[in-house]
Amino acid sequence: MKPLAAAFVLAGVMLIGGAVPGVATAATAAATPDACASLHRHGRTEEARACETALAHSSNPYFRAEGAWALGEYSAANNDFRALVAAHDDNALYRVRWGRLLHQRFNDADAESLFKEALQRDPKNAGAYLGLALVSADSFDGRAEGFAAKAAALDPGLTEAHELLASLALEDSDPVRAAHEADAALKLAPDDATNALAIHAAIELLADRDPEPWLKRMLAVNPHDGEGCALVAYHLVLNRRYEDGVTYYRKAIALEPDLWSAHAQLGINLMRLGRADEARQELEACYAHDYRDAATVNSLRLLDSYSHFDVITDGNVVLKLDKSESALLRPYVEQVAHQAIAAYQQKYGITIDKPVQIELYPNHDDFAVRTYGMPGLGALGVTFDTVIAMDSPSGRTPGTFNWASTLWHELDHVFVLTITHDRAPRWFAEGLAVHEEGQANPAWANRLTPDILVALKDHKLLPIAELDRGFVHPDYPGEVLVSYFEAGKICDFIQARWGAPKLVELVHAFDSVTPTVDVLAAHLGMPAAAFDQAFQSWLYHDVGDTAAHVDEWRQGLVKLLTLFKDHQDDQALAQADVVRRLYPEYVDDGNPYEVIAQIDQAKGDHAGALTALLDYQKFGGEDPATLKALAAIQQAAGQSQQAAATLDAINDIYPVHDEDLHRRLGALWLAQHNATGAVREYTALVALHPLDTAGAEYGLAQAWMAAGDLGRAETHVLSALEAAPGYRDAQKLLLDIEHAKGSPRVQ
Amino acid sequence: MKRFAASLIGLLAPLLVCAPAAHAATFYVTVAGLGGEPDYVQEFTSEATELDKLLKASGPDNHVQTLTGNQATRAHVEEVLAQVAREAKPEDAFVLTLIGHGSFDGVEYKFNLPGPDISAAQLAALCDRIAATRQLVVNTTSCSGGSIGALERNGRAVVSATKSGTEKNATVFARYWVDALQDPAADTDKSDSLSALEAFEYADRKTAEFYQSQKRLATEHAVFDDTGRQPPVRTASLSTGEGRLLAQLTIVRFGEARRAALDPAKQALLAQKEDLERQIDALKYQKAAMAQADYEQQLKALLIKLAIVQAKLEP
Repeated sequence: MKPLAAAFVLAGVMLIGGAVPGVATAATAAATPDACASLHRHGRTEEARACETALAHSSNPYFRAEGAWALGEYSAANNDFRALVAAHDDNALYRVRWGRLLHQRFNDADAESLFKEALQRDPKNAGAYLGLALVSADSFDGRAEGFAAKAAALDPGLTEAHELLASLALEDSDPVRAAHEADAALKLAPDDATNALAIHAAIELLADRDPEPWLKRMLAVNPHDGEGCALVAYHLVLNRRYEDGVTYYRKAIALEPDLWSAHAQLGINLMRLGRADEARQELEACYAHDYRDAATVNSLRLLDSYSHFDVITDGNVVLKLDKSESALLRPYVEQVAHQAIAAYQQKYGITIDKPVQIELYPNHDDFAVRTYGMPGLGALGVTFDTVIAMDSPSGRTPGTFNWASTLWHELDHVFVLTITHDRAPRWFAEGLAVHEEGQANPAWANRLTPDILVALKDHKLLPIAELDRGFVHPDYPGEVLVSYFEAGKICDFIQARWGAPKLVELVHAFDSVTPTVDVLAAHLGMPAAAFDQAFQSWLYHDVGDTAAHVDEWRQGLVKLLTLFKDHQDDQALAQADVVRRLYPEYVDDGNPYEVIAQIDQAKGDHAGALTALLDYQKFGGEDPATLKALAAIQQAAGQSQQAAATLDAINDIYPVHDEDLHRRLGALWLAQHNATGAVREYTALVALHPLDTAGAEYGLAQAWMAAGDLGRAETHVLSALEAAPGYRDAQKLLLDIEHAKGSPRVQ
Repeated sequence: MKRFAASLIGLLAPLLVCAPAAHAATFYVTVAGLGGEPDYVQEFTSEATELDKLLKASGPDNHVQTLTGNQATRAHVEEVLAQVAREAKPEDAFVLTLIGHGSFDGVEYKFNLPGPDISAAQLAALCDRIAATRQLVVNTTSCSGGSIGALERNGRAVVSATKSGTEKNATVFARYWVDALQDPAADTDKSDSLSALEAFEYADRKTAEFYQSQKRLATEHAVFDDTGRQPPVRTASLSTGEGRLLAQLTIVRFGEARRAALDPAKQALLAQKEDLERQIDALKYQKAAMAQADYEQQLKALLIKLAIVQAKLEP
């Protein structure tokens, strides 16, 4: 849970004291929820505590609920609210306040239901809309702004709504709008709106300006406003300034030591930065103090699982791999990591002076928790400073994930975020990383998916100045992926029009906080609007025709698959050609290339099948079974080197759980005198603990023999024979090795 | 456990070579049952046809009969098994492979065929009339675990794709059983022949990898019983004897090993070879109690001697 919701919890209490009878003593006569909250907001902790205690002992059940909540007696407060709601079915306020309690205590599903029930009873209840906005803001579902605006419109005096709108605007990288909303809150409550002051401080920090005047004002209102500092930290983290975020979470805790939401976020962000020990301390403290939101608990579980990981240091690269697959994956990951780092060092002209840590998670939900604290994340990899966390190839179904291109992508972030001190706007950092994937390997290039085609057809691309919003607050399903595509294509366009050095120039242009529009004007000589026009003209010239015919393509694909299923091969081949021409880049399920290849193979037209599958590969097809079929055709056609290259490409996609891949590639490379490659493949095969241990060990022995290492060759041939003593080929190799080592040849 | 199983195969390898009499034959009957849907019809037929081809190519002593599609009726199954019962002798081997869908009502397993189904008890009765003392039933269907109780018997190994009758989803075990017969990697002891135990371990492993790679919960867990007593198991064990019969049942032969073994002129070398193999097995069992370097040195010496003997045996 991000801190914003917690920060707003006590600020929204509405005055009902005068309407509620039953104030028992003089000491509690002034104790209303609003009065207590005001004391709390102004840092008058002792008085607030006394006020809240009085509330908790009030004969008024609603006051008791608020008092118990403020004192952290959540179970009692929950029971009180449940009783209140049961006794006062038509009361919207009780539902709103109960919903806020549940929202704070990590139960957004029930909170949302309560807010909706409140609106059924009072359709103009601003507090209910604000509650829905808070729930939506936590899930980034894009509806928060609408709910908050509705709350502000229904109750123009609702400071909290403007504070939330300010925060949402800042999430959208719109500091002007954020400042405007924060000012609106301050105008309503100049002595109370500490979150508005925190937003102003965050705006200044994100612009590399001095936040102190705003922080001083905030602390003047509330000298213990840890929540304000946590809100600042939240925005720093959201802008990938993790170290700065950690600093502000520490400040928040220093001001308010029992602010467990800040402890939790500090722990999660320390974990992101690879500081597991300190992260564990923070998260365990949260758990011990009953702050057990899903992110905290998930993160602790993940930290416990780290005992199942190997940590391998290889020069400036630190690998963290699950023990069950580290022996298999290590050589592949090391190779791609070193290649990418060398390429980026040359391109950007810098050396990363810290170790680059790469963590691969075979369980996708572990990766998600590592990244976000929660399972269900759609991303494949994430970079925190110089720490990369990503899915292992075994974490995804074969053909749906290219781990090598993902690592290449994330390593670009390491360089770009280091050069720009994390100041590069999201569109540029992501777009450049997507662009670099295609530069490294054309088959990894920005993929034109059907969803993106539809977005292009409907002209849904965002202006470059607003593109960051597409990553954070998508307006429609799939907009995040469309934004990745657009950002990548923008970088392709810049390279095409201004040359590759211009992209490197832009990296350095973003090393201080500079708005995109200013960078475009200064370095490309173009206003943003003109750039958008030029870019879209370039892009649509390339793919506009495909986008315009996307519906025709869909219908054609359905027809193709029907013909194929009905074994009408000649008509299917003709239809496949039509579909392929309409949208050549489509290589997912039901793609025409595989249909053509299957029909051609069945007819004995191996050349036709080869051509179709080469196109499939060229356009980024990554199904391992299909690529293996391509390799088999290549091998049968005498194209052994091409077959080996095709199989080697599968290593970038799914090198796990596939003994056949490593066995075939090892044999091919052995035959091609590529001893190094053969050693790698047979080492991978042995690491898979195959049933055929003897065969795998024998292959590795052959590879070491080819590499001239008789000692290792002997070790592995003996392992082969230990498993299968009667293995003739291995026996022959053993005798050859002994002869080569100087023993007389046996006749 | 894997090393244990491998050792079991190793220990039984000489038996595999010597046990069958010179003129023993193997009778194979493969039945692809009712598919129901075109995809299944195609898959079952394709697997049975592929199996038929592999078995026929494996050796001249193989008697192979395969029923697919509309031919795979209960009447035809009964007819074919009756024919085997007329021809097979006690020294022969018999392998029945069932591919398709099965059902289990909690008591009785039925193999789904065009027309009337056939129950496990009916199949068992037909197999009981066959004189071959080494029998194998490979039931790859859904619910096949429910057939073991009726089919098991002393001298008959039963392999099923599912651990019980309640695993009702269509299975993938059959495709990997067929793959095992043509993948040299399945011959883990490199004996140039594939035992039923090797085929089972291969298919079981590949089936597990299939579900793992597809991120699907495994809905089949293959088991076998070759001791004639319940319950079925998933792995071979020297202590219980599970796997012994499977290791002795050769499904296909890849090479010339058997021919060499039956050459009277080479009996002395064979004896030397078997003696060395026994010494190697004995050494492997002592491995845990030995210094690693000592073990490796002794193993290497024995393996070199074995390689020399085998080079003379199979130049």
